[in-house]
Amino acid sequence: MKITRRELLISAGSLLAYSQLGSLANAEVNIAAQPGDQEMIASMCKALYPHDRFPMNIYMDIAAGAIKKGNADTGAKISFRAGLDGLKINSFDKMSFKKQTKYLNSIANTPFFGLVRGHTVVALYDHKEVHKIFGYQGASFDRGGYKDGEYNDLSWLPEPRIEEHPDLTAFLDDSSPKKYASLKTKKTF
Amino acid sequence: MKIDKKEKAVVVIGSGPGGAQVAYQLTKQGIPVVLLEAGRRIMKEEYVNEEWPAFSQMAWLDKRTMTGNSRIVKDFNGLPTWLVKAVGGTATHWAGATPRFLDYEWKTKSTYGSVDGATLMDWPIDGKEMKPYYVKAEDAIGSTHRGGRPALPANNNYKVFAEGAKRNGYKFYATGPYGTNAAPYDGRPASVQDGFNFQGDKSGAKWNPNVSEIPKALATGKLELRENSQAVQITTDSSGKADGVLYMDTKTKALHRQEAKVICVAGNSIETPRLFLMSASARHPNGLANSSDQVGRNYMRHLTGSVYATFDKPVNFFRGETMAGFLADEVKHNPKRGFVGGYYLETLALGPSFLGAFLDPGKWGKKFADMMDGYQNMAGMWIVGEDMPQANNRITLGSAKDAFGLPAPNVHFDDHPNDTAMRNHAYEKGEAIYKAVGATQTYRVTPYPHTHNLGSMRMSAKAKDGVVDKYGRCHDVKNLFVSDGSVMTTGAACNPTLTITALAIRQGEYLAEQLKKGNV
Ligand SMILES: Cc1cc2nc3c(=O)[nH]c(=O)nc-3n(C[C@H](O)[C@H](O)[C@H](O)COP(=O)(O)OP(=O)(O)OC[C@H]3O[C@@H](n4cnc5c(N)ncnc54)[C@H](O)[C@@H]3O)c2cc1C
Repeated sequence: MKITRRELLISAGSLLAYSQLGSLANAEVNIAAQPGDQEMIASMCKALYPHDRFPMNIYMDIAAGAIKKGNADTGAKISFRAGLDGLKINSFDKMSFKKQTKYLNSIANTPFFGLVRGHTVVALYDHKEVHKIFGYQGASFDRGGYKDGEYNDLSWLPEPRIEEHPDLTAFLDDSSPKKYASLKTKKTF
Repeated sequence: MKIDKKEKAVVVIGSGPGGAQVAYQLTKQGIPVVLLEAGRRIMKEEYVNEEWPAFSQMAWLDKRTMTGNSRIVKDFNGLPTWLVKAVGGTATHWAGATPRFLDYEWKTKSTYGSVDGATLMDWPIDGKEMKPYYVKAEDAIGSTHRGGRPALPANNNYKVFAEGAKRNGYKFYATGPYGTNAAPYDGRPASVQDGFNFQGDKSGAKWNPNVSEIPKALATGKLELRENSQAVQITTDSSGKADGVLYMDTKTKALHRQEAKVICVAGNSIETPRLFLMSASARHPNGLANSSDQVGRNYMRHLTGSVYATFDKPVNFFRGETMAGFLADEVKHNPKRGFVGGYYLETLALGPSFLGAFLDPGKWGKKFADMMDGYQNMAGMWIVGEDMPQANNRITLGSAKDAFGLPAPNVHFDDHPNDTAMRNHAYEKGEAIYKAVGATQTYRVTPYPHTHNLGSMRMSAKAKDGVVDKYGRCHDVKNLFVSDGSVMTTGAACNPTLTITALAIRQGEYLAEQLKKGNV
């Protein structure tokens, strides 16, 4: 499995976990493989980054990615299993949002939390459906870029000046070190 | 052209704005150059208009570590810097802001006085001497608003920024100076406002050496560009002069040697000092050209920080040029504000993918999600100001190894209290700009991994105070030059690349003359 910078970025705490990503081929026990497990992780993803506008299938996609990382090596597996167990015992998915937040705060220092949060923040906001919901249009080069009337279509403010102010050169050039040195104060912090 | 490895050649290491410019200046004058570049040449057709894939395509991903009190240590420990490993260097990623140093910013020690904990020093050159080179650099890059070149039009992000600035009584806002063409220039087209300037720019409207100095230097017939060739050691002869470069083919890992009569190093402020430290030898036990103990020290990354705001109406700030919006009103030194030096505010737009990762690293919860949810109604700006050089903000060889078995560089960075005071001031002013046009939520964003990497091979009048002289020539080794942003004695408030370019043009002209006179 190729380790991408995206994964490296996620958080310092999970760096080691990512650098030990091994082959999944020989895995004998896969965690989070029970019915309802993906839904449980998805409810955690949603409590972490709650967007009413996002359909649950987006959070399910994110949960699938998190589970994959949770199975990446033995260390990830044991912490992921313990974390998921905690969610189940406490019926995390049935809690109010407020209680969920409180619960997440209580586990915020665990590797399980670090893995799920780190994965979610990157994968969620990189999700194509999320981009659509946000109104983000992305690449435009193939159609010649954003057109006049598109990149500048904001009409609730007046048209601004684009040229530099006529006094700018004088403002920047008025820069005699002597004059500015007269402002000198011994700066202590 | 093909240059024999046994031939004592002029060797330039690194093809970013510094290295490519020196190579072009020399080849233009008929001097053959071997240009070693650790990355490969990515052509514009290959650029990807998606944030993470583009990042993976060009970023320098070799192992680096970080220490210090900066928040990046915690948030992005494996990624202290945001630099590129490709022909054209980090300018493949750059936005294009091209302001100049102010005259007194060349003389900060004399101007600001002493600042506790800071190693301020005057440059051995001044604004008067640099003025003609700034003009040449602006013409090389094609900066808008300069040399008769037109301004870029206002995009949505700029409209919010400029009106907010105006309502705060600010005057000095404009859509440039900016290194992307508003009208065709130098064989390159005008911007198509496609919103993917950071990702390399598929249209070629954005200046970077890969679409300008590199093809021009190749056209002279005097350049040999060696891609995937990473310098790992500079060797010296019995007289103490540099005589060769050991470099590695990053694909095959084979080690090669190029004989050299002059070497110009332009690997940027992390890799240049790293190479000098890896070149320690019996004659230079502390690292090459390091009798001053200044190699790697006084590393700067500019103040930086961002302010984003959401409004109750759409902005769609991701459309159009990424950073074509400037405000200069806060750039002048005015210690009454509680800090020395000054800063610019510049528009900045990120896609949701980058914004999610950088808005508030480590954060989660409703407030964060609400901010992201306002994406379509969002405007953004970046703060760039002068940060204080400090002796212990430095690049060293760490104990970790990269994939080639080479010592990975460690970046130590502590924010100076002056940096913190300036950043807080800028946050307040940035928020005031957005509040004046009706912001419903504002967000103060901590610095990203360092995009402006400066200092670490400081220029000084005296050999004991720095590594290189006023032409970027090593005080200790006369045929060894540094040609990138690492020579900066202090960083000024402005984005650095115009100044790196101006210094490289000046160095190239000087070196060509010295070579012709037989002085090196
Ligand atoms: C997202 C982003 C936006 C930016 N926007 C702006 C802006 O608006 N305005 C501005 O002024 N600046 C901007 N910058 C900064 C700008 O890109 C840098 O200041 C500039 O590229 C530095 O030039 P350089 O020559 O010093 O180093 P680099 O551009 O980093 O070039 C160094 C080159 O050397 C190569 N190299 C390193 N080590 C070795 C080795 N050992 N052997 C061979 N090759 C080696 C590297 O692969 C690289 O190609 C931005 C940067 C980023 C990341």
